Amino acid sequence: MLVFDHVSKSFGDLRAVDDLSFEVEAGEVFGLLGPNGAGKTTAINMAVGLLEPDEGVVRFADEAFDRNPRDAENRRSLGLAPQSIALYEQIGGADNLRFFGRLHGLRGSDLEERVVACLDFADLTDVEKKVVSKYSGGMKRRLNLAVAIIHDPELVLLDEPTVGVDPQSRNAIFERVEQLRDAGKQVVYTTHYMEEAQRLCDRVAIIDRGRLMALDTVPALIGAHGGPGNLVVRTGEGESRHETTDPLGTLAELQARQAVDHFQYLPPDLETVFLNLTGRALRD
Amino acid sequence: MNKIVAMAAKDIHILFRDKLGFFFTVFFPLMMAIFFGAMFAGLSRGPANIPIALVDQDRTSASERFIERLGQASGLAVEQIPREEALEQVRRGRTAVLVTLTPGFGAALDNPFVTTPEVEMTVDPTQFAVAGMVRGVLLEAAGAELQDLMSDPARLGAANSQNSLFFESLPPSSARDDMLTFLDLSPRVSSLIDEMGLGAATGGNQGFFGPPLEIEQTEVQAERPGPTNSYATSFAQAMLWTLIGGSVSFSMSIAIERSRGTLMRLLVAPVTARHLLAAKGLACLGATLFTSSALITLGITVFDVRPTSYPLLVLALLCGSICFCGIMMALSVIGGTEQAAAGIGWGLSLPLSMLGGGMVPLFLMPEWMQRLANISPMKWTLMAYEGAIWRGFTLNEMLLPCAVLVAIGVIAFTLGARRLRWDTG
Repeated sequence: MLVFDHVSKSFGDLRAVDDLSFEVEAGEVFGLLGPNGAGKTTAINMAVGLLEPDEGVVRFADEAFDRNPRDAENRRSLGLAPQSIALYEQIGGADNLRFFGRLHGLRGSDLEERVVACLDFADLTDVEKKVVSKYSGGMKRRLNLAVAIIHDPELVLLDEPTVGVDPQSRNAIFERVEQLRDAGKQVVYTTHYMEEAQRLCDRVAIIDRGRLMALDTVPALIGAHGGPGNLVVRTGEGESRHETTDPLGTLAELQARQAVDHFQYLPPDLETVFLNLTGRALRD
Repeated sequence: MNKIVAMAAKDIHILFRDKLGFFFTVFFPLMMAIFFGAMFAGLSRGPANIPIALVDQDRTSASERFIERLGQASGLAVEQIPREEALEQVRRGRTAVLVTLTPGFGAALDNPFVTTPEVEMTVDPTQFAVAGMVRGVLLEAAGAELQDLMSDPARLGAANSQNSLFFESLPPSSARDDMLTFLDLSPRVSSLIDEMGLGAATGGNQGFFGPPLEIEQTEVQAERPGPTNSYATSFAQAMLWTLIGGSVSFSMSIAIERSRGTLMRLLVAPVTARHLLAAKGLACLGATLFTSSALITLGITVFDVRPTSYPLLVLALLCGSICFCGIMMALSVIGGTEQAAAGIGWGLSLPLSMLGGGMVPLFLMPEWMQRLANISPMKWTLMAYEGAIWRGFTLNEMLLPCAVLVAIGVIAFTLGARRLRWDTG
């Protein structure tokens, strides 16, 4: 279990992470959402041990003991798929997996078994020897994910894993993430795409300016912060939009006044929650 | 037109906002201009800065006068030292030329009408250009001596008296009488000497009508181990450039790892930053050792390069590679991107190579630049390589360049490693 316990981190005068606390359970996809500069990357870097908190503790906790990710040996428990395609493009996909597998201590048949499994996981078995530079964007993204799990870690951190891929590859990545959850992994998933988080994440933490704004399941967040939905109706006078928490009652009222040709109810979603919590002002 | 001006102004604005681009656009060319300007300014002052060792075995007033003339008129940096020490300096590359004034030089200088004064010139075979310059200066000095002699009635009279005594000692003949009659340097002297067979008797030395000075040139390897051929020196330089290329390429590889995210992935793996740095250093060390070793192996097997000491060659190769691994690490953190790493790497390597003698021999530079060359790792690398390949360094002689190389490597690697860890962590 990954634990952030009142963690803060500053860079000069900038408070990048401010008293952040959460836990990620096994078999859970945990969404970490926030606008640009919210502190997501700083949090990820502390989770993988690249940064040390100024205050608070980041640890892998299990039944036996707490482990600090700053300790290199403890990093065997985590896998990171960075936002960039962090692969060696001059060598093949299988060789990338072998290299990173060796770094994590895999050898011999164990290594080869994991390479085969990860190639299958990423659906790249047919192109395992092809140099990565010849891969499509989607293939690279899948391999980027596969490299993160070559050593079968307990915790997998995926930093915007679907950037720049087509819908088919995105869907394939979603399926892989769901496989990881089903296998009992802890998955931390950062993204700017709210529909991804809504589909994949069991719980979502929304952070802004380093602080935790909300943390709950998606339905609970929508219930708490989503506000009213929108009823869109079309009549002889044109189309109109009505905020409502009781769409049927509102529709009945409208129909009582004039004939409604067409209507559509747009319930609040995670994007609504995100904008309500972080505001609509542009972030640079 | 306004659009073109606007776009050009934008590009210039961007260029000057880009510190690295600004450096290579303005400061680097300026540095090159200053470097070559300073170097050629040194040349334009004449060869005053060309160090030559001089041994006076004649020890006469004439030889001392000639040495003084060399020091004043020729502009050479003349240092009188014992012959063995002078030979050692030439062999070690500290002095390009050793000039020896052999016994009898002074007498011949004072009376060159029968015997031309002779000097021995021992040269570093890699520095034939400077040897040619020194030869010219020696001839010029000897010519000036002859001119002084001809314009000094007292000295000329003394020489003529001496020559008269010489010819009077010969068996009587009409030719001898004529010689005595026309000893005032008549153009007939040469033909009369030939007629008497004295040209052969003096070993082909033509006296007054020959060149003002006979220079017998030998290369240092005649007495000491030296390069078997020109490839011995060119391969040493090629090995240096292999190190430079390797270090720049590896520094780029770290920048590429950083920009593409694989560095982060490596640091997240269960290895410490120290392991990662050690792996990078080892890879660079291995690659540069392999390439430089492959080069010298090719030189030995194909181009007849014969190192004077294989153990010292191995030591030199190792120390050179250690030095440039450190440089690689320092370069990799100075340049955050691969373009910056490459630009800074080559931007630093080229002037340091020029300063260190990798392109232009050190002796052509002003003295202050030669002293400044001590900061260039390229100078010490070349010294170590040449020491093992053809200069015949002893272990003691090899210790200085090797110690400097290892020190530079360790310091640069440490600074780079500390900065790299901070940079990523």
